Amino acid sequence: MAMIQKKLREKTKELLAKKEVDLVIGFSDWTLPLRTTPIFIRTPEGAEHLVWNSFCENNLAAYLHKFSRLKVGVVVKGCDARSVVALNLEKRFPNHPPLLIGVVCQRLVDRKKVKKAVKGEILQAVEQGDLLLVKGENFEVSLKRDDFLYPSCQSCTHRTPHQAHILIGDPVEEVSLVETHPEVGEFERKSPEERWDFFEKETSRCLRCYACREACPMCYCGECFVDSSRPKWIEKSLSPSDLAFYHIVRAYHQTGRCSGCGACERACPMDIRLTYLTQKLNQEVKDLYGFETGIQPEAAPPLSTFDPEDQQGFIK
Amino acid sequence: MEKDWQPKILAFLCNWCSYAGADLAGTSRVQYSPNIRVIRVPCSGRINPLFILKALQSGVDGVLVSGCHPGDCHYLSGNYAGRRKSATLKRFLEFLGIEQGRVQFSWVSAAEGGKFSQVVDEVTRDIKRLGPLKKFKKSS
Amino acid sequence: MKLKLDKKNFEDFLKSLMEEYDLYAPVQPVEGVSVFKKIEQPSEVNLTQLVPQKPAKDIFFPQSEVMFCYEMAGKQSRMNSMEEIKRERILFGARPCDIEAISIIEKIFVGEEYTDVYFLEKRRKTTIIGLGCNHPLSTCFCSSAGGDPFLRAGSDLFFIDLGETYFVELLTEKGAALRKNRFFKEVDPNDLTLVKELEGKAFEKVGYSIPVEGIEKRLDLMTESSFWDRVHEKCIGCAVCTYLCPTCHCFDMVDEALNNKGQRVRNWDSCLFPIYSLETSGHNPRPTGRERTRQRLMHKFNYFPKNFGRVACVGCGRCILYCPVQFDIREALLYASAKRAKGLKRKFR
Repeated sequence: MAMIQKKLREKTKELLAKKEVDLVIGFSDWTLPLRTTPIFIRTPEGAEHLVWNSFCENNLAAYLHKFSRLKVGVVVKGCDARSVVALNLEKRFPNHPPLLIGVVCQRLVDRKKVKKAVKGEILQAVEQGDLLLVKGENFEVSLKRDDFLYPSCQSCTHRTPHQAHILIGDPVEEVSLVETHPEVGEFERKSPEERWDFFEKETSRCLRCYACREACPMCYCGECFVDSSRPKWIEKSLSPSDLAFYHIVRAYHQTGRCSGCGACERACPMDIRLTYLTQKLNQEVKDLYGFETGIQPEAAPPLSTFDPEDQQGFIK
Repeated sequence: MEKDWQPKILAFLCNWCSYAGADLAGTSRVQYSPNIRVIRVPCSGRINPLFILKALQSGVDGVLVSGCHPGDCHYLSGNYAGRRKSATLKRFLEFLGIEQGRVQFSWVSAAEGGKFSQVVDEVTRDIKRLGPLKKFKKSS
Repeated sequence: MKLKLDKKNFEDFLKSLMEEYDLYAPVQPVEGVSVFKKIEQPSEVNLTQLVPQKPAKDIFFPQSEVMFCYEMAGKQSRMNSMEEIKRERILFGARPCDIEAISIIEKIFVGEEYTDVYFLEKRRKTTIIGLGCNHPLSTCFCSSAGGDPFLRAGSDLFFIDLGETYFVELLTEKGAALRKNRFFKEVDPNDLTLVKELEGKAFEKVGYSIPVEGIEKRLDLMTESSFWDRVHEKCIGCAVCTYLCPTCHCFDMVDEALNNKGQRVRNWDSCLFPIYSLETSGHNPRPTGRERTRQRLMHKFNYFPKNFGRVACVGCGRCILYCPVQFDIREALLYASAKRAKGLKRKFR
C-alpha cells in the first residue's frame, strides 16, 4: 500500500505539473482515526498530502458534478470507476470527461465494525500488512484486517478499475470473500412480513438528512423527488410510511446505475442498512437483462433501453 | 378484516389500447368488478414508479397497470420501456415484503373488452384474498 | 446542596422518578445508535455513549412536531391544538454541552418579542439532570466553545460518576424538589476531593484548543474571503451536521392533508439544503455550497454572537464524528482565526 501511495503522489504531481488536469480529487489523512477526507489538489506540491489506505471510503465520483467546468483527475477504486462509467453513459461530462486515476483496491475497513470490537475511544489506527493496529487511551490491539471489511467490499469482484486511464497497482484475481451479497440472501430467507418489518425498523432511524443521497455519485437530479412541491410526492415528517417511501425510491432510482460501492451506507450517521436494497436491484438487472453497472462502457443503462424479447411472464 | 370490506384498486390504463378496451367492455355491457378506479395515461411507458407507490401510500389496496400488447404501442416502444420498469419494480416491492399480487400488470388491446373484464376480476379476486393493505399505507 | 446516590440503587432511583415524572434519557445503542427517548423501563437507560447521535434538543424541539390538526365532517370542521403536557418531565443524563445548547435555543424560542409555546411548554415542565463528562472524547471542545465538561449552568440537578456512586448536586428550586428522594445519601468529604480530581483531569483532556473568543470580529472581515471558495469543496450538502447539532434550530412548517384530515407539522430544516433558501421565483440567493457553508459557519460564529453574546456552538463534536466526509469545524475555525489573528497561513484541507 505504501508503494501505491508513493506512485499515486508521483502521478498526481506529474499530471498537475504538466497541466494535464486542473484539479485532482483524492484522499488525505485528517483529524479522525480510521478515516480519510476528500482533498482537492491544484498544485504539484499538494500531491504530498495524498494518501492511500483501507480507509478511503468515499466515492469521489460524487464530486465530479461540482467541478464539471474543470479538467479533473479523480482517484477511483474499482467501484468508483464503474460509477464514472455509468455517469458517462448518462452524458454527465459533455465538456471534460474526468481523468481516472485508478487504484487497485485492497477492500476497505469498516470503521463501525472496528469500533464495536474495542472498548473505549480509538485514537489511532495504523495498517501494517494484514494487521490493523488500533490504539486508545488504555488499550492497544492488533486486529486482522480482513475480519473488519465493509459488507459491500467482502463480496466485491471488481477491485481493479479496468476503466481507469492510469492504473496504479497490479490487477488482482477477482474473487468474492463470501457468498455473493450475503445480505441479500439473508434478507430473502425471511418471510414477507419479517422483511417489511426489518426494512421499516431500519428506516425508522432515518433523520432524512439525505447523506445517503448526497454521498452517491448517481444522485444528481436537479430536484430530488423529496424536494418537489408540485407534485408533492412525499411529506417531510418522520412517519414510517414516508420514510419507507423515501428509501424505496432512493434505492429503486439506482436500478441499473448502482456500482455497489456502499458509500450511501457509510455516510449514514444512524447506521441504517442500505446496501442490501441496491445490491438486490443489481442482482435483478443482471438476472433479467444481463447488465452490470459500469463494466461495458458502451452498454446502455438497462432502464433506458429494451429488448422486444424481454421476459414478461408476470404480465397478464 | 371488516365483513363488508371491498378493495380499492387503482388502474392506470393506456389511452390507446387498454382504456379503449375498458370502453369496449362498457359498450358491450360486459360486467366486471366495480372495485377499480381508472386513471387514463398516454402510454404504459408513462408510468412513473412514483405513481404506483403514491397510490399505495394514499390508501388503495392494489394497483393495475395495463397497456398495449408488445409491438402494438402507439409510440412504437413505450410499452417495452415500461415493461422493464414494471419488472424491476414488481420484484423490488416483493423483495421488501409487499405481498405478491398487490401490483399487477396486463396487456389489453382496444379489441379485448372481454379480456379487460377478466383481468379486472382476477386482480380484484387476488386483492380480496390478500385483504386490505397494511404495510406502507399512510395512516390518516 | 450536595448529596450522593449509590449505583446499586440506580434503577430503583429511576423508578422512583418515574412515579412522578415522565423520564427521558439516552437508551442502549441499537446498531451503534443511541438517542434520547421516553423511558418505559429503568433498565433501558444507558449512559455508555458520551454523545448520543441525536442531541437532547429533540426532547424540547422534536425533529417532527404536530402543531395542530383539523378534521372536516361535511361542512363542519374541527381543530385541535397541541395538547398540554400533563405530567412533569425529567431529562436525565444529558451532558453539559447538550444542556448549554438548550439554553442557546431558548434564546431564540423564548425571546422578548416572540415566545414559542411549543418549546416553552416543554421547557417549563422539564427538570434537567445533567451528567458530568469524566472522559471527554478527542472530538470534544466544549471548553473552547464557552462550556466545560462539568458545567452546571442549565441543569437543575447535576450528577458526577464517582465509580461506585454518583455525586449529586441540587442546583435550582426545581432540582430541590427532588431532595427528599429516599435514595439520596449524605455526601462524604472524600467525594468532594474526588470530584475536584475528576474535574481537573477532564479539563486537562479537553484543553483549550480553538480560539473562539472574538471570532465574530474576524469573520466580519471575511465575508468575501477566498477561504469560502475552498472550505465548502468537500461538503456534500447533506444535513448530518445541522440535524445532529444541539444548537441548530431551523425548521420548516408544512401542512399535511389526507382525505378529510390534516395537520400542521414543523420539521427540522437545514441551511445546507439548496431548497432551504430557494425562492418561489426560482432564484436562490445561496446558489452554491460556498454560500451555504458560509451561512452555517457565519450563523454560528458571527450573527449569533452579535445578537445573543455567545457562539451557537457548544463543542460537542457530533458534526465532526458523523460527517460523511470529515468536515472538521475545528479546523475551519482555526483557519479563520489564525489567518486574521496571527498572520499564520494555515493550509485548509
